[in-house]
Amino acid sequence: MAGEVIYEVKNVSKRYGSVVALDGASLKLHAGEVIGLVGDNGAGKSTLVKVLSGAHKPDGGQIFLDGEEHSWDSPRQALEAGIETLYQDSGLAPHLTVSQNVFLGRERFVKGFFGWLGFLSKKEMEHEAHRNLEEVGIAVPASNRSVSQLSGGQRQAVAIGRSVAWARKVIILDEPTNHLGARQAGEVLQIIKAAKKKGLGVIFISHTLPHVLEVTDRIVVLRLGRIVKDAPTSEFDGDTLVGTITGTIQTIKVEGD
Amino acid sequence: MKRSVRAFAAVGAVAALSLLATGCSSATSTTEEEKLSIAFVMGAESDPFFQAMKVGAEEEAAAQGVELIWQGDPKNYSPETQIPIVDAVLAEQPDGLVLIPTDPTALQASADKAIAQGIAVANVDTHVNDLSKIVTFITGDNKDGGAKAADALAAKIGYTDGGKYEVVVGLTSATATTNVARLEGFKAQVAAKYPGISIKDVAYSESNPEKAATNVNNWLTKYPNLNGIFAIDGTNASGAASALEAKKLTGKVALVGYDAYPDNVAKVKSGVFTALIAQVPAEEARQAIKALVEYIKTGKTSIAHEVVIPNFTIDANTSDADLTKYTYVATN
Amino acid sequence: MTDSNQLAAKVRALASNQSTVLVGVLALLTLVFSGLEPKFFSVATANNILTDWGSVVLIAVGQTFVVISGGIDLSVGAIIGLSGVVSAYVMANVMGYDGTTKAEDAYWPLLVGTLVSVAVGAIVGLINAVLINKARIVPFIATLATMGACLGLSVIFSSGMPIGGPNDFNLISAMNYDYNPLSVAVIVVAVVVAICGLFLHKARFGLYTYAIGSNAFAARAAGINVESHITKIYALSGALSGLAGMYVYIRLGAGSPSSGTGRELDAIAAVVIGGASLMGGIGRMWGTVLGTLILFTVQSGLIMIGVAPDWKKVVVAVLIAAAVAAQTLQKKNGQR
Repeated sequence: MAGEVIYEVKNVSKRYGSVVALDGASLKLHAGEVIGLVGDNGAGKSTLVKVLSGAHKPDGGQIFLDGEEHSWDSPRQALEAGIETLYQDSGLAPHLTVSQNVFLGRERFVKGFFGWLGFLSKKEMEHEAHRNLEEVGIAVPASNRSVSQLSGGQRQAVAIGRSVAWARKVIILDEPTNHLGARQAGEVLQIIKAAKKKGLGVIFISHTLPHVLEVTDRIVVLRLGRIVKDAPTSEFDGDTLVGTITGTIQTIKVEGD
Repeated sequence: MKRSVRAFAAVGAVAALSLLATGCSSATSTTEEEKLSIAFVMGAESDPFFQAMKVGAEEEAAAQGVELIWQGDPKNYSPETQIPIVDAVLAEQPDGLVLIPTDPTALQASADKAIAQGIAVANVDTHVNDLSKIVTFITGDNKDGGAKAADALAAKIGYTDGGKYEVVVGLTSATATTNVARLEGFKAQVAAKYPGISIKDVAYSESNPEKAATNVNNWLTKYPNLNGIFAIDGTNASGAASALEAKKLTGKVALVGYDAYPDNVAKVKSGVFTALIAQVPAEEARQAIKALVEYIKTGKTSIAHEVVIPNFTIDANTSDADLTKYTYVATN
Repeated sequence: MTDSNQLAAKVRALASNQSTVLVGVLALLTLVFSGLEPKFFSVATANNILTDWGSVVLIAVGQTFVVISGGIDLSVGAIIGLSGVVSAYVMANVMGYDGTTKAEDAYWPLLVGTLVSVAVGAIVGLINAVLINKARIVPFIATLATMGACLGLSVIFSSGMPIGGPNDFNLISAMNYDYNPLSVAVIVVAVVVAICGLFLHKARFGLYTYAIGSNAFAARAAGINVESHITKIYALSGALSGLAGMYVYIRLGAGSPSSGTGRELDAIAAVVIGGASLMGGIGRMWGTVLGTLILFTVQSGLIMIGVAPDWKKVVVAVLIAAAVAAQTLQKKNGQR
């Protein structure tokens, strides 16, 4: 069901001083595929996310997007190449409106001289933000409302909707269901499914294992900076997943060298 | 790379701060063995009064062939900043110390410490509580300056007994000791000689000439018949002058200022100021250094134990020679 | 929704609108001061207040950008002094601008002086940005350091005394009120403030400023070059302070090293009274404009009604505390 390999890292490593945060991790993501990235605290998940999103440069290893090798100097570069990242709890600027958040970094300008000066086309962005969010199945009351006036669930929906709407190739979601109620988390999972249907590659990082089991096609388990298991979701149930994460179930490496 | 930029910037910031802490002044260079050295710790470098004093100190030090160690806080006139500066200077073991104590009680211990080290100490402008072991104390007379200002104002507004006159006074703050002394002298003189003058209001400029202009602007609106303004220091003088110029009231409202900044002296001639009361900081410094050098060399001095140098009134009739003598000199 | 509900909602919206409240406060102050001192209600007073407003609103506008971005700039007052002194020095010693300069020859030196003044401010702003971005010094300390350095440099440049302009050319005529509360200089300042307001509220420059103050992490994730934008903000604040330095030069007819003393606190007070949050992300240009106006209305009013000068500080302190308290209450009501 998954398409071509769209995003790949080979043998990437990252150390902070003497601490090895990531040790030769390799990972393949296909178009239309959802990968669950799980592991205990300190297992290297957030480091891998930062490497994938361009926030950190790995010390070693290669990164391929659509088969072409890349080296991200900044998140902006990765973003422009089509990789959207939603960070844990920090996706939106609360004092900006919904549409300002959706278009942040991708503003539309008025025509002519004033556009050249950086004057914004507010109406156009409000209108389009509304439409974009609706397309991925999010009903937000009004796109000119300040995000601080939204509920936690609404905020998260806007943040994810924003990423899905803009992503062209890959979307990385770091703990998107954190702090959400059951119904709101369900909505988020629906959006992930919508992204998958759009043909995006999705990397879903979460501690909430039932969510991971529900929405992913494949699960990658990190422990102490290494990928210890990479297998189709159907091979796991709740108990085996917990066992793999904590290390009580012995694993063999399935990929890499 | 990034770290080195960071370190460089941090060093820069620290350097900027320490430049301030040490008072930006230049005269702390190497000591030649045979030369006497005189340390001069003043109040606040940014005050033109001390800048003018520095000119006199440098001239006299050069004339006497002694090394001058000029120190003081760049901005704050306070014992908290001055005491550590005195301590640092004493560590250099000068032969003499001219101290302008920012507080008579707080700096007493510093003076005692210097005397105990065998350093000859003089006070200028202000003094420590115990003058008995101080070689000499030389000061300008601020009370007398206030009285002179009252005389100049009264003359300009054509004071006659039985008349009613309104004046205001621009101060820098409620606690500046020179301000207080000048105001005292001014009030005493008004009460004694010009009972028809009533001091309607005082306000503070907080060392900012623009705030001084604001105060005068509002007074001119409130007191349309205002006769005169006593601007008690250089900052207030600058602000008051510009306010009168803006409202085209120069010459119509009498303005007596303080401190002979070159810019203000020029405005005496053009009629903006009725008069400027000038202190003689350079002369104070000269006499202090002279006294110390004599004392160090011979164990006594020809200069009296307490010297009061009167303030000088600059007005339209002041001779060019006197103008040159009393106008504060820029040091660069 | 019924008509009465709509009306109630409108009234509530109006009451929660910061600008409306500030205009109300301003009207109330004018009323009280005029009642206590009839001469307060006059063209002359309006001119007094607007003339004071002209210099401080410039640094308050810069401060608005800085505060919205989550920073603070303590160097603005010291820049007024330094830029005024340096440009006065250049005009006097390089351009030969002195007491004999005729009015018609004065415009060229004045233009150069203005450029020098703005450039000095912008350079100090850039130094602030380097200290903040590269050395990772918090804005409070970084700008405190440059403030000190600027104060020291102004004294070195000027020997602590004002550097004078010409005597026969009345520069101050630009500030002269005669029959009009608005002088040329104040109108120029108002135009600059309006342009800054447009860039804050209508253009990407302002949007990024809010975004960084609101959530710098999110701004970075959205691809905004946060360091570069911070640099622009501090350079702008410095440049506006330099312009304020020229304004004060014109007002005083001289560049004085102490002419910005304490103004950083006035600017911060005006911005906070105007409703900005020192935590970042919140603030309006109208708020700053009105906050500055309120500040100087109070200062003028207190002198005019004859309140002892020491009480002025107390009143301003109470105003700031009230503004912050109002903000906190609004925030509480906003979070349902």
